[in-house]
Amino acid sequence: MSAGGVVSLSRRSISNTLRQPQMWVPSMAFPLIFTALNTGAMGRATRLPGFPAESFLDFAVATAVVQGVLFGATAGGSDMAVDIQDGFFDRLVSSPVSRPTIVLARLAGAAVLGAVQSLVFMAILTAFGAQVRGGAPAVLTIVAVAMLLAMAIGGLSVAIALKTGSSEVVQAAFPVFFISLFTSSAFFPRELMSGWFKTVASVNPLSFMIESVRALIIGGFHVGDAMRALAIVAALAGVSLLLSLRALRSRLAAG
Amino acid sequence: MNSLGIALSLAGRNLLLMRRIPSVVVPSLVFPIFVVIAFSGAYSALTRLPGFPVDKMIDWILPMAVVQSSAFGGVNVGLSLVRDLQGGFFDRLLLAPVSRASLVAGPILGAVVRAFVPLAVVLATGLAAGARPRGGPAGLLMLLVAAEGVAVIAAGWGVGLALRLRDQRAAPLMQVGIFLTVFLSTAQVPLAVMSGWLRTVATLNPMTSILALGRQGFIGPVSWAQTWPGLVALAGGIAVLGTFAVRGLAVAEQ
Repeated sequence: MSAGGVVSLSRRSISNTLRQPQMWVPSMAFPLIFTALNTGAMGRATRLPGFPAESFLDFAVATAVVQGVLFGATAGGSDMAVDIQDGFFDRLVSSPVSRPTIVLARLAGAAVLGAVQSLVFMAILTAFGAQVRGGAPAVLTIVAVAMLLAMAIGGLSVAIALKTGSSEVVQAAFPVFFISLFTSSAFFPRELMSGWFKTVASVNPLSFMIESVRALIIGGFHVGDAMRALAIVAALAGVSLLLSLRALRSRLAAG
Repeated sequence: MNSLGIALSLAGRNLLLMRRIPSVVVPSLVFPIFVVIAFSGAYSALTRLPGFPVDKMIDWILPMAVVQSSAFGGVNVGLSLVRDLQGGFFDRLLLAPVSRASLVAGPILGAVVRAFVPLAVVLATGLAAGARPRGGPAGLLMLLVAAEGVAVIAAGWGVGLALRLRDQRAAPLMQVGIFLTVFLSTAQVPLAVMSGWLRTVATLNPMTSILALGRQGFIGPVSWAQTWPGLVALAGGIAVLGTFAVRGLAVAEQ
């Protein structure tokens, strides 16, 4: 596996995504639209006893970052499926590129896009009055979380692409990611939920990751929160990487 | 065949497509059901805010989800029309000696009939999940009027865009238009709870009056004060977007 191969293939993956605005514009626009709508609609929720932030916009920054990365990272999987459909994948396999590079390059591309997305979201929302109280260490941690999360989601969509070879199936998996996000504490604090929804949100790993990221934004930088957020996404990224490499092996074995 | 016959045939064809291509219909059902479940669960504490008129979030969200599902159903008529335009079927209709109004009325009539499906499914799901129509049958009737009116408006929007753009570029415009119109209103919370720019936009958005019309039966008894602004907004929306659809025919003929 060569570093040069990973770099050139991830550069190709990034430029493929950037060349198709329909792949990245929604993942940039929708989280910002949701944030604007929710801040206007639920701004007064901060008055409820137990609400963890003084400003709903501050509360929503972590949601926007995670939502954007979640929406955007499926692009890598769709591209992989397109490569399989149009024969580029077969040409790549018959070239002297190491097999894991094919997957790692996609994930590296997704990670770079995740980093850019998180920085853009934080810059825009800060311009509208949001405050990242943890300062530079929190911003760096959030960028790292976004990169690992992009690798986790990108890895799952690459695994689906390798398994099915269909970009439609990769796109069809998108609602699953969307539902996972909605059934977490991304949009409202767990402390103010009740009943079965609270139970579901309490076992959803995304809740713990988002709450740790949010703590860095609304409460200041604490190593414990940073480590918790990084550990959760690193574990998700690790599992996802294993699944995508296994899917690659199965596809190659099937010929 | 007279104009009514042609309109009915086109509406029937639209309903046939709904049965043959379930992938077009399923999202317009699944998304609103998900909204009912997720919003009612996640935002349940919002009802504790002063000015929130219900004590269970599902009573606030369910009517919005029903109206939203009818809107997406209406837009689907536009998506079906895009398919007909791309396949050349609609061009053959334009060449035939048939009334132009019936070519628009048919799909819109189809939207009215197909709106009953999401209405029934989403409403039944919400009632099973604990929503309570305090206004009784009159309240449910108001929700039916709001949902069917919105289906006609959304179909006018979808048909008008399909006739102008003639390809799949119309699809995201149709859906984003509906999404923004619904969510820039009192979709999530009442005006009394909103703040800032959203409150101003929602006050001016006719969808707020339409949602008040459909939602009143889940808040209390039906009243004329909550009914007439919604009826006016529906009539205005139907007139404007009906004209938009009819004028689209002239564009398509060029």
